[in-house]
Amino acid sequence: MSSNAITVPGVQIDEKPWVDTLHEWVTTVDHKRLGVLYILYALLFLVIAGVEALIIRIQLMFPHNHFVSPEVFNRLFTLHGTTMVFFMGMPILFGFANYLVPLMIGARDMAFPRLNAFSFWLSALGGFLLYFSLVGANGLYGAGNAPDVGWWAYAPLTARAFSPGHSTDYWTLALLVSGFGSIGTAINIIATILCMRCPGMKLNRMPLLAWLNLVMAGMVLIAVSPLTAAQAMLLIDRYLGGHFFDTQAGGSAVLWMHFFWIFGHPEVYILIIPCFAFMSEIIPVFSRKPIFGYPVMVAATLCIGFVSMSVWAHHMFSVGMNSYANSFFTITTMAVGVPTGIKIFNWLGTMWGGRIQFKVPMLFCIAFLFQFLIAGLTGVMLGSAAFASQLTLSYFVVAHFHYTLVGGVVFAVFAAICYWYPKITGRMLNETLGKLHFWLFLIGFHLTFDLMHFPGLLGMPRRIYTYEPGRGWNTLNLLISIGGFIQAIAILLFVANLIISYFKGAKAGNDPWDAWTLEWATSSPPPAYNFASIPVVASRRPLWDLKHPEDPDSRYE
Amino acid sequence: MATLLTAEQVMESPRAPREIEVPASTVWPFVLAFGFTLLFAGLVTTMSVSALGAVLAVAGCIGWFREVFPHEHEEVVPIVPEDIRITTERRTVERLPVAAYQLRAWLPVHTYPISAGVKGGLAGAVAMAVLACAYGVLKAGSIWYPINLLAAAVYAESLKLGPAQLYSFHADSFEIALVLHLIVSALVGLLYGAMLPMFARRPIVLGGLIAPALWSGLIYTILGVVNPLLASHIDWAWFIASQVAFGIVAGIVVARQSRMITQENLPFAMRAGIEAPGMIPPRENGEDGQ
Repeated sequence: MSSNAITVPGVQIDEKPWVDTLHEWVTTVDHKRLGVLYILYALLFLVIAGVEALIIRIQLMFPHNHFVSPEVFNRLFTLHGTTMVFFMGMPILFGFANYLVPLMIGARDMAFPRLNAFSFWLSALGGFLLYFSLVGANGLYGAGNAPDVGWWAYAPLTARAFSPGHSTDYWTLALLVSGFGSIGTAINIIATILCMRCPGMKLNRMPLLAWLNLVMAGMVLIAVSPLTAAQAMLLIDRYLGGHFFDTQAGGSAVLWMHFFWIFGHPEVYILIIPCFAFMSEIIPVFSRKPIFGYPVMVAATLCIGFVSMSVWAHHMFSVGMNSYANSFFTITTMAVGVPTGIKIFNWLGTMWGGRIQFKVPMLFCIAFLFQFLIAGLTGVMLGSAAFASQLTLSYFVVAHFHYTLVGGVVFAVFAAICYWYPKITGRMLNETLGKLHFWLFLIGFHLTFDLMHFPGLLGMPRRIYTYEPGRGWNTLNLLISIGGFIQAIAILLFVANLIISYFKGAKAGNDPWDAWTLEWATSSPPPAYNFASIPVVASRRPLWDLKHPEDPDSRYE
Repeated sequence: MATLLTAEQVMESPRAPREIEVPASTVWPFVLAFGFTLLFAGLVTTMSVSALGAVLAVAGCIGWFREVFPHEHEEVVPIVPEDIRITTERRTVERLPVAAYQLRAWLPVHTYPISAGVKGGLAGAVAMAVLACAYGVLKAGSIWYPINLLAAAVYAESLKLGPAQLYSFHADSFEIALVLHLIVSALVGLLYGAMLPMFARRPIVLGGLIAPALWSGLIYTILGVVNPLLASHIDWAWFIASQVAFGIVAGIVVARQSRMITQENLPFAMRAGIEAPGMIPPRENGEDGQ
């Protein structure tokens, strides 16, 4: 440990009425509080979407099961997918960007603090609007009470003829509202990183977390806009008699697919690039080595950001595009694996020869590396038009993207929470509970998602409500569901650890991990102004320079 | 060298402020967001919800404008003295052995220029093409057969060619195969250029045997699954031979190029060869940054 607990002599903290506390949080424009709000809000939706997933898995646990009705099943997988992508994945990553970017670049706040608050509340209210459909859309025109068109909402499922009532509208409006919030946050992140860096922090000295969030924010601007436009077009179709996606009136269902996936695939990278950022910060600290190949990591990220914009139609190989399009999207999909592979190589290079400390954040990082590699390999397989034609719409695809989003994003988010929890709360997470959480979640994850590939290879279609016995899927589905419950237990342990450690955890001090970036140079939790004086940096590892004045990085960079 | 003053140091400084202004808390962004959401929610509930949303949105806009015009509202936060310690207990730093006068070095110390990789890749491309065409003439009976197959890896129209057509010239397949061959060869050459200095003992073994063996194994394993039609047309012995030919020739050409000192730590301006006074700021210790 590099530092002891923070003492604030003579400062007495008065208990405030809870109404005052609530008012402070609702009216806050402080990037740290907004970051925490984003994270808590996302964790709430993680639990909600997790419960939905468990119900889905109970339904699929046995053949001919009728735990829920087919209609409810459709609503569940729609809500689960939409929630995890839009109201868990993006908010939690925006939360970390909000909290960490200003601290890591030595700024006092985001560039536009009020826009920051506005963006958060839009995102949050978008999520609540989606779930208000459970009440608000109830029974209108005899329709269902929640969206049931899948998270991709393909036409013509969304046409009034096939989706009467308002359930689909709630889906559209929720995404529209939260989409504006995402765009606001992206603008804020870009402006903050480009304009608010402390003296000496040139672009080539920025922490990789800031670099990668810059790329992510740029991608949000490019990718979310088509989705927002498509939602507006869908509203026009449903309310004003438009025919954009109405195939019976000259519209095109494939047009929706293009709009959706030109958002949808970059979205995967929008979710995973901040996770790469977590890896790039956590792995060096617990390997006790600087990141291997900083410039290449930046270049690879930019390359991923660029190439990932041209891979979207690999989700559409089965719709009957011509061979030129199939060839193009196969090649670009293969190509995006190259910079991603470079990143994995560099993280391994960072660990190679290091004095690795197997703390909980590092355990999650190591699991991430392995799992993301597997997810990438199945991604390359599905990126081939010939292979995708065989396995599209099967559970193989479900296994692949859950390997990416759970094995990648969720593991990285756990790593990040465990790593920065001491900074955010001033308390250390319980290491024993943390390791129990890690191992249980790891076992549950692999039981579920490793096995999930096989029903897909055996022909089990995705989104299927129930299935016939005797197809070789029974035992696999049972084990997959058991794995889901093990993950749920692990998440309960995690939540318990967060709560218990908040009240009873050991004091963290300002720099519990002996790290090198600026956020560890202020108290835990940081004061409203972040730094008493704006720091001046001369290298990529300013705290290394301060800790090792005899041999600072600044001498070599 | 980085500088960072703790709150205590700031307080000790007679000229330093005792307070810091930060943006004031405000409810208006929340009001505007809530109004905006209700405005949309009215589309699926009743118009009165939209009307309420519109009122809140307008109020939110006005409140927000008043918050920043004519002067941005800020609140004063006193600087709290705190005990920040930026130290480490890990004083021992393990180092890789490099030149005695250096504490650190960028590894590899010497590397090949980019042009070496491109040259190696293009030379390997010629070697590979010669072998592939030899296979076409000697085994398949047509020089165009391997070219059409190469195009078929990315160009589905080539894959649709009938058995007889695979042996004849097709301009589109030829162009695609040529471009693909040159680009991929140059890129692989670049990769060799970057990797060979890291495997300094037996570069040709790496480039000529190990890498082609790994690559061929990978292709052999997955091509049957990814593209079985294409896989069925490939003669794997000749495929491996052409890969080895590429690797050996590319490796030899790259290895024969003269190495240069790794320039990763040099500013872009220096690497680009720009010579101008003041371009490179001097180091804190007075060195000129060279």
